[in-house]
Amino acid sequence: MKRITIISGHYGSGKSEISVNLAIQKKIDYLVDLDIINPYFRSRSLDTLLEKNNIHLVESTIKGMLGSDLPYVSGEGVVPFVNPSITAIYDLGGTENGARVLIQFLDRVKDINEIDFLCTVNIFRPETSDATKILQTISMYEAETQLKVTGLINNTNLMNETTEEDMINGEKILIEVSKKLNIPIKYTIIEENNKDYEYDFLGERLVLTRYIAKRWL
Amino acid sequence: MSKVLMKGNEAMALAAIKADCDAFYGYPITPQNELPEYLSKHMSLHGKVFVQAESEVAAINMVYGAAGAGARVLTSSSSPGIALKQEGLSYMAGSELPAVIINVMRGGPGLGGIQPSQADYKQITRGGGNGDYYLYALAPETLQEAVDLIKEAFDIADYFRNPVMIAVDGLIGQMMEPVDLDIETPKWDLEPKTWAADGNLINRKKNIINSLYLDPNDLEKHSFKLKEKYDEMRKNHQRYELINMENAEIVIVAYGSTSRIARSAIEILSEKGIKCGILRPITLFPYPKKAFGELPLTVKNLLVVEMSTGQMLDDVIISNECRLPISFYGRAGGIVPEAEEIVNKVLEIVGGEKHE
Repeated sequence: MKRITIISGHYGSGKSEISVNLAIQKKIDYLVDLDIINPYFRSRSLDTLLEKNNIHLVESTIKGMLGSDLPYVSGEGVVPFVNPSITAIYDLGGTENGARVLIQFLDRVKDINEIDFLCTVNIFRPETSDATKILQTISMYEAETQLKVTGLINNTNLMNETTEEDMINGEKILIEVSKKLNIPIKYTIIEENNKDYEYDFLGERLVLTRYIAKRWL
Repeated sequence: MSKVLMKGNEAMALAAIKADCDAFYGYPITPQNELPEYLSKHMSLHGKVFVQAESEVAAINMVYGAAGAGARVLTSSSSPGIALKQEGLSYMAGSELPAVIINVMRGGPGLGGIQPSQADYKQITRGGGNGDYYLYALAPETLQEAVDLIKEAFDIADYFRNPVMIAVDGLIGQMMEPVDLDIETPKWDLEPKTWAADGNLINRKKNIINSLYLDPNDLEKHSFKLKEKYDEMRKNHQRYELINMENAEIVIVAYGSTSRIARSAIEILSEKGIKCGILRPITLFPYPKKAFGELPLTVKNLLVVEMSTGQMLDDVIISNECRLPISFYGRAGGIVPEAEEIVNKVLEIVGGEKHE
């Protein structure tokens, strides 16, 4: 795993849950929540859990004003880019506006090879349901951030209704994308309930605990 | 079409397109912004109209105009924005104009906050604007139900020639769930809109869209004509769901997101051997009074749970007709009750050890 992982993807593709899970499982130092798009279901709502796991949370809400609804981003987000001893995960917001937030930090990048810029895809999201649409989404993210997407995350799911076959179908579509762009599928996300799936999915298998959604319902 | 994973606001927007909605007029406000955002892109792809108005007041008056011309119209907003639309809604009810209004509720009063709430209940069910009128109000608890009810809501609005409100809280707007957009929903028997001010191409008697009656006799007649519609809604169009009623000793009354949480609570309670049912209103107006008459005799207590300090509580008191003792548990300001809190409230009422 590279020192810095940036998680992008269409909104509702699962970025925040994946960011939190990766940060906890990989014992990452910083989780930078750059989501200025969503008003709810953001990784910052898990501040206590992250603190317990010794993960430093950088968020875009003014302290004590979780509901301020302001598109504010903490300058602390730059720290992992300038301090080479810190590992970090960046959780971007969905849409082009969410991606644009990252740009302000990128002129501080010293070594681009230290960064993985991943795109999370769920083929059950109508905006990323086939290879053409996924390629469009990726080129949008690349255009907005001026960063090349370096890998894919297969997060094919219909929440509790996901089947192993769905995930295999998702992988097939992602393989098309992967071949076109010559980038790997870095992770396949498997929910805790489905962890007995035997299929040998591409990339590292990341077993996902739903922390954010669970807090609400 | 098979199932897709959608965010509530997007799914509700797409449902409106599926219902042949001709036009959307709105103004942004959290937590419903994805709804107009989705429509801003997709209405034009379907050859339909999308306008971001200069304010909520402008938007609702555009809705009035388009509905008066016979179009199927949608607007959406969240609590403070819906408050701003009340004048227009009263005029629409007075002028007998159909439209669908989606209210993705957030905390109040005033600007309140952006987190989920059910504190607009009285605004929704007691008219909201001036005059003797009501909105037909539907409160779905899942995204699938929201989609299905929105598709039907346009028919209901046209049928009654009255605005229909879809009342959800911010959670339903923001959460994600699998939905099937193409499930058949009931089609209402609709008359052609011969009343519409649509250009009079056939040289008929002119149609006037109006809520002003200077002769009090005419206005009284008009008011009672409107009342007939509301009485018809009350008599034949109450909707509700009774859940887990067999031998229930206590019944939770809750709608929308709160009833979802109540569903988790009754599972925990059943493990403790406590039979708890749920009475889930689907229409907030007309209030499903009938459901209270269908409760089994085993029920000894009612517990109303709301994300407010107690608004639907009044309707439960009215519908209960002094039969059962009523307790209340509410969270406000954007705080969502946890299943465990509801469990502990039930245990407090029926007696039992506190749930950790």
